[in-house]
Formats: sequence, structure tokens, C-alpha cells
Amino acid sequence: MPDLDFQRRVERVLRTAVPTSLHARRAIMDRVRQEPVASAPRRLLPLSAGRSARHSIIGIALAAGIGSITTVASLAPAAHVARAGGAVTSVVIGDSVVDRLRDTLRLVRLMFDDPTARQVAVVGDFNGWRAASTPMQRDDATGRWAVTLALHDGAHRYAIVMDNTRWAGDTSSRPGDSTRYLYSLLHVARASN
Amino acid sequence: MTDDAIIHQVLRGDVEAFARLVDGHYDRCARIAYRILGNREDAEEAVQDAFLRAYRALASYEDRERFSSWLSRILVNQCRTMYARAHRRELMFSDVDPADAPSFVGEEAGDDAWPDLEHALAQLPADQREAIVLRYADDLSYEEMARVTGAGQSALKMRVQRAFTRLRVLLQEVHSA
Repeated sequence: MPDLDFQRRVERVLRTAVPTSLHARRAIMDRVRQEPVASAPRRLLPLSAGRSARHSIIGIALAAGIGSITTVASLAPAAHVARAGGAVTSVVIGDSVVDRLRDTLRLVRLMFDDPTARQVAVVGDFNGWRAASTPMQRDDATGRWAVTLALHDGAHRYAIVMDNTRWAGDTSSRPGDSTRYLYSLLHVARASN
Repeated sequence: MTDDAIIHQVLRGDVEAFARLVDGHYDRCARIAYRILGNREDAEEAVQDAFLRAYRALASYEDRERFSSWLSRILVNQCRTMYARAHRRELMFSDVDPADAPSFVGEEAGDDAWPDLEHALAQLPADQREAIVLRYADDLSYEEMARVTGAGQSALKMRVQRAFTRLRVLLQEVHSA
């Protein structure tokens, strides 16, 4: 057999499919589902300019002397904590220290305006970027979506997911120069009294 | 939907979208792993581990290169790990029964059924086998092969050519035996 014919036959054999088992394919997804959700949203599609202008997010940290992190005991005067920029505004009106848990968690109220959305969730470092973990509740009277988060002090990356397809974030707070980042940074710290 | 669009979807929290990447690339990966490792069980394990590693590293994937090449790089590393783990190379192809070989080449095997080639591939040095598999089982360009393997393009071309030469000798030995 001439060299060229031989090579072509080898190539043809190498390109032929090998049998695969359905079980092996399913096993991959079984293992994937046990993994933490692929976390960092490094390359999120930018929102169209027209759409992002209609969104607003307000983060409010509530002061609470808490045995349970879900209990809001008191409100303190407003103080700055969160970073604002673009369509995203975060305002802290208080803070709290959870002594009994030997840890500090602050309750942060996130609110988001999008009357057209049927489903809204917040994703971030704090929930492994799982949209299903932290759905926001809609106030039918105002059309505003809201959720309360218990967060440690520090910077938290987060974004809002609408209808599992669209993302909103504070593009002005994205790190670096990449236009493909789209999430907000929420800085949580004790508010000054 | 493109691979990049699916990746965006997965990174947005839609884990199930990853199944589309699995469906789209499984056959190709299985072909590569089987041709490199030489047996189906190891190949399935390597492919499974490669997809899992890809999922874990998905956020670090950069679309400057094709997802398929990126995945191939992970898979080849996985195959190398498994190959090193096997140690005794002569056992790697021990479960390939020539009688079963037609079933490894699809229903319309015809001229493509070449059981002796499976055994000849097993005799190749690992770097030559890897090169010829990536070039033809994965249809990678030499540039992409260089990214996947870390070897230079001229070295890879040499490996492929030597693989052909060696295969020809090995197959002639089979026929003359």
C-alpha cells in the first residue's frame, strides 16, 4: 500500500467513533451535580444599556442585637457601608454584632426594581452563585423585589438574576478593565453611630 | 447554542446546561482517551475526570481558545496521569480482544475496521501515540496541539511522521508473521 493510502487509512480509523455507554455520560452529570456551582462569574454577558437603566438595587444593612440572625431587633441611624455606583445603590442604616455566635453577621436588605421580571434571585460569593439558593420576594404593591441576607464584614461580590436568564450588576464596580465582568461589590462593615 | 453561550449559562448557575457540553464533546473525548489509553474502562474514567475538572475550572476558561482545545488539554493531562499510574505499559491494551475490535469502530466499520491497528497503536511511544491521536482523532491543528501538549509544532510534526512510519513497520510485521 502506498504511503499516502496507508496514512489516509490510519487517519480514517483514528477518526471513527468508539462506543460509549450512556451510564458513563450520566455519571459525569451525577458527579457535577455534587460539586459546588461553578462559582466565579468571570465572563458574564453585558446587559444592554437600555435595560440596565431601568434597574435599581438598594442594599440596606439593618441593625440588630440578635440571638438569631433572622431577628431584627432595632434600627440604627443610617450610615454608609456599601458602595454605590451606576444603577446600584447600597445604603446601610445600621449594624449588629452577634456576640453569642462569636461571630459578626449583619443583616443586609437588598431591594431591586424590575416589574417585568417573573422571578428574581440574588447570587454571590455568599451562596456559591446559586440562583436557586436565594430567591427574592416580590412586593405586589410596589413591584419591588427584596431579600434579607446575613453577611460577614467585608466585600461581597453579588449580582441579580432575572428569570434565570438575565443578570444585573453594578458595572462600575467590576474589577479590572474587562467589560465582561458584571457583578456588584457590596462592602459590609459596622456602621458608625 | 455555542459552547461559549452554554458556559455563560453554567456560570450563571444553570448546572444542567453543562450536560450540553458533555453531549457535545463526549464522543470526541472518548475517542481521544480510548486511542491514547487503549481500553474502554480507563478511557471512560479519564473522560469523566476531565469533564469534572473542566467544570471545576470553568470560571477560568478564557474564550481566546476554543473550548474543545481547552477540554482536550485537560483530557490529555488526565490521560497522562492515568498512563503514568498504569506503569506496566504492556498491560494497557490487554483487554482489547481483536475479536471485539469491530464493535469499537461503529456500525459501518467496513474498511475502517482494523483491529491490528489498535494493537500497533499500543506499541507506539506515548508521545507519538498522543500526537497522532490529537492530530487525527481530535482534528487539531499543529498550533492547537502545541497548546494542548506543551510541545513545539515542529516536534509534533516529527512525532506524527514517526508514528506513521512505526505503525507501518508494526503492521507489516503482523502481516508477515
